[in-house]
Amino acid sequence: MIGYRQSGDSFIPARHQPALVLDYARSRELDEQDELVLRGTGLSGWQMPAADSTLTPAQYLQLLANVTRALDSPDTSFMLGQQMLPGHYGALSHALLQAQNLRQALQILSAGQARLCPLLTPRLREEGGMAVLYWSDSFGAPSQLPALVEMHMTAVTAMCRWLGGERLPWRYCMNRGAPAHIEQHQVHLGSDLRFNCHLDAMLINPAWLDRPWPRGNGMAASVAMHSVADEAGAEALEPSLLTALYDYLLAHIRLGPTLEGIAADFGISPATLKRHLARHGSHFQAELDQVRAHVAIQLFQMRGYDNEAVAQYLGFHDATNFRRSFKRWTGLTPSLLRDGLLSIPQLI
Amino acid sequence: MLQLHRSTLIASGLALLACVLLYSTLGVAKAFHMWKWTDIVSEGGTAVMAGSWVLFTLSSRPGGLVTRLLAGGLALIMIGSFADCMDEFFAISKTARWDHWLEAMVPVGMLVVTIGMYYWRHEQFRLNEHLQKRERLFRDHRAFDRITQLANADYLRRQIRHEQARRPGQQCALVLLDIDGFHVINREFGQSEGDRVLQAVGHMLLLNLRNDDLLCRYAGDRFALLLPDTSVAEADALASHLSAMVGQMRHHAKSGRVHITLRHASSSADAAPEVLLTELSRVISQPAQPAADPRIAAATA
Repeated sequence: MIGYRQSGDSFIPARHQPALVLDYARSRELDEQDELVLRGTGLSGWQMPAADSTLTPAQYLQLLANVTRALDSPDTSFMLGQQMLPGHYGALSHALLQAQNLRQALQILSAGQARLCPLLTPRLREEGGMAVLYWSDSFGAPSQLPALVEMHMTAVTAMCRWLGGERLPWRYCMNRGAPAHIEQHQVHLGSDLRFNCHLDAMLINPAWLDRPWPRGNGMAASVAMHSVADEAGAEALEPSLLTALYDYLLAHIRLGPTLEGIAADFGISPATLKRHLARHGSHFQAELDQVRAHVAIQLFQMRGYDNEAVAQYLGFHDATNFRRSFKRWTGLTPSLLRDGLLSIPQLI
Repeated sequence: MLQLHRSTLIASGLALLACVLLYSTLGVAKAFHMWKWTDIVSEGGTAVMAGSWVLFTLSSRPGGLVTRLLAGGLALIMIGSFADCMDEFFAISKTARWDHWLEAMVPVGMLVVTIGMYYWRHEQFRLNEHLQKRERLFRDHRAFDRITQLANADYLRRQIRHEQARRPGQQCALVLLDIDGFHVINREFGQSEGDRVLQAVGHMLLLNLRNDDLLCRYAGDRFALLLPDTSVAEADALASHLSAMVGQMRHHAKSGRVHITLRHASSSADAAPEVLLTELSRVISQPAQPAADPRIAAATA
């Protein structure tokens, strides 16, 4: 049975990321306005929340939405990201601080995702001369996704720049058109920006993964990681429903996964799974299509597969069928997307 | 802002109350059928409107002569038209003169507001002079950054386009300035100290600019300069001078002195603003030579 969290489950410690958001809002004098900013967030005031109080992902998302709306400034998501990692989230933050290189830092981030970045799930793939860190929505908040992606990419960028002691040559791919506030991306992320990418991803040459970080201590980081479960209990790291489903689909993508089979593995009835997905604004086919699109893009980009090979990999009868489905998932034909990917210069 | 003017607000409130008392004790209430609704609405409406102008003025301006004149004049208009309106509810004997004096407050108030407007114009000229390097030719209050009070990137792009359209072919330079290791300042001293550094650097840069130059906060710790009638070489020299001035600056945080250094990139402003700024951003964010970045070296030591 696979355990998971939903957007209504209260598990995000209010003193972690929500306290940072409160702090930033206070520094921008939002607390002088009124309590409207706190509406629907489960927080009762501007003071430091109680040590044992928790928020649901829906409440944390509401807090972010309220603060962003009240500040009405394009830099809010980026400024929040600057402070987010390594953060003060107990043993996990301690482990990040001690990370000996980028690879270990990203491993810690993935393993501690439920606490370090509960709203978006980072996934690292390394193949074909590039390392890709891509992000997916954990609790179904499509309208806030652009701000969340900006925030999380800034968080990883800023953390690596600080701990690594230099600016890393990331390439940023955004699953949306170029925004009006591109200057914020240039300053807080970097100048190698791509838009309309069908994936929110940060790309880097894998050589950077193992370059030692000046204050890293791999041993100390591992020790800190081991104490994470003791500190908060193993269930503290349980993934969200959408994350667990994505992982399951990714692992079984070549086996033709079905709603019924997955429900059985998750230990719930298909009707319950459907209902839970609907609560996150999604449904089974949408999640399956997303994973298949991501796999196809990765095969094009990292392994240089052609249509036939990808169609065969994903279990399509023929390339024509695959081309039609791919167009439905992404709005682009595979060849257009592949040409776009190939025209991009090599990573440094 | 309204707290500043509490006594003015209380005085106006008391004056209105006195008006009501005066009319209700010295006058005779008119029967309901004698009320003239058009007069009540027009005179009462004027009083309400003038009252809201008093509030707008007081809530948006610091104290001082101009504020006193504008708010005082508007308050006189409000009280005068309020008295006029009370006339409709209470009959005053024909021999009494005081109600005429009360109503005469409307033209007196208009005179006071007019004098206030005259001084406001003067004040505005002074402020324009002060804001010139920040805004150049246009005012758009939404385009200003809250921390540094400088215009934002959007405004900069519009100004570049404006400059190109106004004087095509004239040389004009664009410079980006970045604070070295700003993220380390934020991490070590906190974000509020980072904000203070941005303000200090903004002030320092403004002090060293010509009146025609425009300084913007591009984003984060990156400032932008638009320099009309300037060649790239001159712009480079100016940027080096500015960097030296900022380098000389003594900025004190709670826990000691923060050393601030700048790096810069400049080009001629002769292409689309988006293209120019993207290219300059790429140049300025090239990894700096480790030796030129003492903050990072200090942080890792």
